[in-house]
Amino acid sequence: MSAVERPAIRVEHLSKSFALHTEKRNSLKERVVRGRGSRGGQFDALDDVSFDVPRGTTVGLVGHNGSGKSTLLKILAGVYRPTSGAVLVDGRVSALLELGAGFHGELTGRENIYLNGAILGLTKREVDAAIDQIIEFSGLGDFIDSPVKIYSSGMYVRLGFAIAVTVEPEILIVDEIIAVGDEEFQRKCFDHLFRLRNQGTTIVLVTHSMGLAAELCDSAVWLDHGVVRAIGAAPEVIDQYLAEVNRAEAANVPAAAGTPEVDTPEGVARTGSGEVRVSGVELLGADGAPVSVLLTGEPLTVRVSYEVHEPVSEVSIALGFVHENGVGIAGTNTRQHGPRVDLEPGRGYIDYVFDELPLLPANWRLSTAVRSRGHTYDHLDKAFPLAVRAQGEVENGAVRLRGTWHAPVHLGADATSDPVVSS
Amino acid sequence: MTQVDTGMSRAVREVRSTPPIWRQWNLVWNFAQRDLKSKFKGSALGWAWSLVVPLATLAIYTVVFSVVFRMPPPQMGSGRDGLFVIWLFAGLTAWTFFASSINAGISGLIGTGALLKKIFFPAYAPVLGAMVAQGVQSLIELGLYLCVLLVLGNLGWTWLLVPFWAVLLVLFTSGLATALAVLNVHTRDLAHLVAVFLQLGFYATPIIYTLDYVPAERWGLPLRAMVEWSPISLFVETLRDLTYGLEVGSGTAWLGMAAWAAASLALGAWVHRRRGGDLGEEL
Repeated sequence: MSAVERPAIRVEHLSKSFALHTEKRNSLKERVVRGRGSRGGQFDALDDVSFDVPRGTTVGLVGHNGSGKSTLLKILAGVYRPTSGAVLVDGRVSALLELGAGFHGELTGRENIYLNGAILGLTKREVDAAIDQIIEFSGLGDFIDSPVKIYSSGMYVRLGFAIAVTVEPEILIVDEIIAVGDEEFQRKCFDHLFRLRNQGTTIVLVTHSMGLAAELCDSAVWLDHGVVRAIGAAPEVIDQYLAEVNRAEAANVPAAAGTPEVDTPEGVARTGSGEVRVSGVELLGADGAPVSVLLTGEPLTVRVSYEVHEPVSEVSIALGFVHENGVGIAGTNTRQHGPRVDLEPGRGYIDYVFDELPLLPANWRLSTAVRSRGHTYDHLDKAFPLAVRAQGEVENGAVRLRGTWHAPVHLGADATSDPVVSS
Repeated sequence: MTQVDTGMSRAVREVRSTPPIWRQWNLVWNFAQRDLKSKFKGSALGWAWSLVVPLATLAIYTVVFSVVFRMPPPQMGSGRDGLFVIWLFAGLTAWTFFASSINAGISGLIGTGALLKKIFFPAYAPVLGAMVAQGVQSLIELGLYLCVLLVLGNLGWTWLLVPFWAVLLVLFTSGLATALAVLNVHTRDLAHLVAVFLQLGFYATPIIYTLDYVPAERWGLPLRAMVEWSPISLFVETLRDLTYGLEVGSGTAWLGMAAWAAASLALGAWVHRRRGGDLGEEL
């Protein structure tokens, strides 16, 4: 960025406070009876925030809930006025704050396109020019001439997104659009966002998906309680943010996976005949000390402690790793992968060691089982929480693959259109 | 991204782009279309209702005021005997436009609240849109009224002044509607107060009675003059002068209407500038 070029967005010493009246004095009676309201303190949603967004770049706003991201976004969209400071923009702003918020149920999709276009500041001619593209992008087909009240929620947001991005904004403000529509439409949205980005649209994006932020954003602003904590290239800011989140979580969850949560009201099911009982699971780091937040790629030892009441022989001790979406991703047991296990009455433990934890960030759950030839001595279903967090780049999926990429092989310039796939 | 380094030329403008009001016509018209379309959507008769309802009103008043009340109507400009129903309809048309626009503006702005929280546009747009939608309905009623006069042969060149009258009424109504709608967002019980005042206004305006019925003085107040110079009375009486009595109306009446319109616009603009900017937080 050259110093002479004007930034697309400039935020200058921006502050925003909200009055915290415990009850809003919105009725005349209250105003008359109690006066104009005792100033019940104020809440500083943003405090002296300054940054520039150079033209054509994509910036992500990250931060926990209540950090001021949404307030900043609303000021950027012009909905809120700053308490002090200023936001200056150079170009037409299109805000995608809540998809379909401006739709009127009784009107058809087509009529709503004109209404929304007018609200976004377009003339009728501009909407006329764009409407075919909007309808095509939305994929609504013949539904476009039906009232939007009969639309499914997916159709609703598709139309909203189609309008907001097809109007060729110079500056696009996007709030958490990620969980929209089906897989195919999501891909279309991302493709379109990338296309807009490549065309030089300046994009400001709020997202809680660090993967998306890392993928799409050039730079990032980390807001914390209304103050800019970090600002800079997206990967670095996201790393710093995630590191902080991990630290905070570690502080809050001192011993995440100590004892099974069998006694909790939500009731983890313990089944089995009880000759052997798993009494706890410990998660140990490389140094042998307990860790509460697990990091992908780091060494980890899962130590399963048990109490044996009757001698048992040739048992299999099993671990099951269940993803937060409820899918059992992987499991392992001593019969298939470990030593022969015979247990004498008393207490003991067994370790399962990861050199590098392959689980990707999610709130995992661990199940344990002690079985023998189809008989279950003890089974604790999803009893132990495993909070796995990211460090560095965010990956997709549930587990890290262990394969290796090799360098591409060039097969000559003689390009045939037949795909080189052998079946 | 960099921290702000001063010395860079400033970006061009504030976030809120507010083109002048005449450039916002597209937005106002889209809100009006929304109101109009949603009004009749799903009903079997659709647009016919905008004709049926005023016709039915006319029929009801005909029965009530020619059978029950028997008000003596003023003579028509053509010299023909007056028809009370027609005379009444003129007053009702003007009044209904005013009162419905105020109400529709207030509820229109509240109803657009979800939108104003997401994206910025001037608060007067949905208010004026509601007024325009009401204006379309009132034009139909006015046309109906003029048709009846035409059939009765009561036609004059003074009809040509009706558009000027309409412009003044629209300006007067839009100023007041904007001010009340914006203030109502801040103080919600204004809507109830407005309902009461509109009812008072209806009876304080010579719509169902002629001005002669008002005592010149009562309780030490110049009651008739107060009624005569109240804004809506001026508009109602001038419409009757132009179309029913086929007179131009007094110069002072026209001046009065212009003054009320200017005052109302000033109030609307002032309230909108002072209180119309933070509705996204208040709604």
